[in-house]
Amino acid sequence: MIEVLITTLRNGSPLVYVALAGMIAQRCGVWHLGLEGLMIMGACASVIGATLWGSWWAGMALAIPVCMLGGALLWFAIERLKAAPIIAGLGLTGLGLGGTDLCIQAVFGSQGALFSPVGLPRLGEHFGSFGVLSVLTVAMPIVVALSWLVIKRTRFGLKLTACGDHPFAARAVGVSPSRMRLYALATGGVLCALGGTDLALGTLQTFSINMTAGRGFMGFAAVIFGGGDPIGSTLAALFFSAVESIGVAVQISLGSQVSQILLLALPYIATVLGLWISAAIRKQDPASSQASELRDY
Amino acid sequence: MKRLFLSSLRPVSLVVVAVMICSVILQVCRFPAWDLLTNIVDGSFASIPACLNTLGWTMPLLISALGVVMSFRCGFFNIGVQGQFYVGSVGAAVVVEALSGAPAWFVIPLTILAGVIAGGVWAAWPWFLRTRYGTDEVITTLMGNFLAGLILLYVTAGPLKDSSGTGSSAVSKPVAQAYRIASSGGVSWTIVAITVAVVGAVWYATNRTAFGVLSQLAGRNPVMTRWQGARVGRLSFVSFVASGCLAGLSGAIELLGANGRLVSGFMPAHGFTAILIALVGGLSVVGAGIASLFFGGLAAASLYLPVVAGLPSAGIDVLNAVIAILITARLSRPAWIPSKRSSVLPNVVPAASVDASIHAKDPS
Repeated sequence: MIEVLITTLRNGSPLVYVALAGMIAQRCGVWHLGLEGLMIMGACASVIGATLWGSWWAGMALAIPVCMLGGALLWFAIERLKAAPIIAGLGLTGLGLGGTDLCIQAVFGSQGALFSPVGLPRLGEHFGSFGVLSVLTVAMPIVVALSWLVIKRTRFGLKLTACGDHPFAARAVGVSPSRMRLYALATGGVLCALGGTDLALGTLQTFSINMTAGRGFMGFAAVIFGGGDPIGSTLAALFFSAVESIGVAVQISLGSQVSQILLLALPYIATVLGLWISAAIRKQDPASSQASELRDY
Repeated sequence: MKRLFLSSLRPVSLVVVAVMICSVILQVCRFPAWDLLTNIVDGSFASIPACLNTLGWTMPLLISALGVVMSFRCGFFNIGVQGQFYVGSVGAAVVVEALSGAPAWFVIPLTILAGVIAGGVWAAWPWFLRTRYGTDEVITTLMGNFLAGLILLYVTAGPLKDSSGTGSSAVSKPVAQAYRIASSGGVSWTIVAITVAVVGAVWYATNRTAFGVLSQLAGRNPVMTRWQGARVGRLSFVSFVASGCLAGLSGAIELLGANGRLVSGFMPAHGFTAILIALVGGLSVVGAGIASLFFGGLAAASLYLPVVAGLPSAGIDVLNAVIAILITARLSRPAWIPSKRSSVLPNVVPAASVDASIHAKDPS
């Protein structure tokens, strides 16, 4: 039981960071389908930084600007070039997956995996079986609380939400939705960098091509399942992670593959069902459907 | 002819810009970009075997892309081409396994039909959720992609698993030689005939029928089209399910043609490339046909590059990604360039017809 909890936290914290990034973008009106790309950019940059300079914070220091640039690129495509956000986001994902592949071949001349000599610091012996958790995993609840505070309890968060809910109203009171989206996507880049670093340096200390394996999209699913709420998205991400670790535990104890596939499918089915139910409820509420016609894009 | 030239100017210039950006990225990564480009041409169009290889990659991509054209024209963001492709290939594989032993003239059409139906079913549930409950189809089809990948994993690791192999990899039994419609190159008269028939049918449906006109209107403004008396639900059903059917058809073709068996996670870029082809082709059938040759050539070269030239095929992934980021851009005059007319009102640039249906969709 404790092991399942630990694997849930370990595998869940990258997902939570990425879901928070998607949540912030979602709140200001951008469907962030580039999360997968930003996450793998963060993972790659952190391993390269850690390998070149031999410390984990150097890896993070490289990953954060790289992912912020990635987020800014998406903003440029959406807001300046007026590209369709969904296609541009998918393009950013492709850029991350292909670009990291190209990058480690260019820098290290190797195809496949890249090992880092250092990893994130762990909690250590004093905490018993929880000692394997990395610093970023421990910091995750703090980041979640902080983002809740910023989104729900500050003027900035209110402006951000207004830009997603009703950009015309936001513009009318002097808030630039375009600028808020830049802030949101850049912040999302930082969070994706943390998620990618936690994924690459937290447990395995390696980077391999395509190592995110759809986690970015699952983070996006968590945003939708969690209703674009900081706490809701976090809980959804942890739920997805819990399902996965229970699946692994079931597979170890029972040794059957089929049930594991069913469990792996559970996050996606849950997202579709959650979306279905929320859409069915919202359809009876005429106010929200009228407001949606006033949105720009 | 002049109209065709003008409408192709924008996508062609965007693709050229993407190639230039990609060359700079490659050069910065210390890969010889010029070598890469010449090798891409060598691997896709320089010789007759290369051209045949390109054609083999192009035809299934074109069929899927025409599906995307139909759904995007009707205002549906069908991101789930990959999933419909997988489910179609699984449906075809189940039927070809169940009917093994029967004569080929009986099995092959039924197998292809099974692929078409399976792909259509996988597109039908997002359509149902969208029209009945207003659930956004972008998320449902995206989740559908992952579910379809798991279905493929289940089928290849479970019921249809090839037990003669090493036992560890998720691979299905190879399709019997009698039922294959092409060798591993993926080119045969059967596939060419299917592709030509599909292109003709989609061209006719979109350009010469009331359905084509109405579905495009519904894509731009569903409310207005409904007020005009058109049945928007039925139009979108036909468009969306046809899109899934075509993706399923290319799944069946890949199973009976080039691949010959199911492998878990095979051809992971198929759906994304099909969407790109439709967008680069400006959501027109002729445009998609031309664009599919370009992307088919890239796909053919991505296998050729690492083997023959020792260059990374990831360069092609990056090129596809840059094209995806740029292709839907609405190029208008930047704000810092003064307009000729000194107007107080912002200069409204008429968007191309493609943009109208893409951007009509409200993403939030």
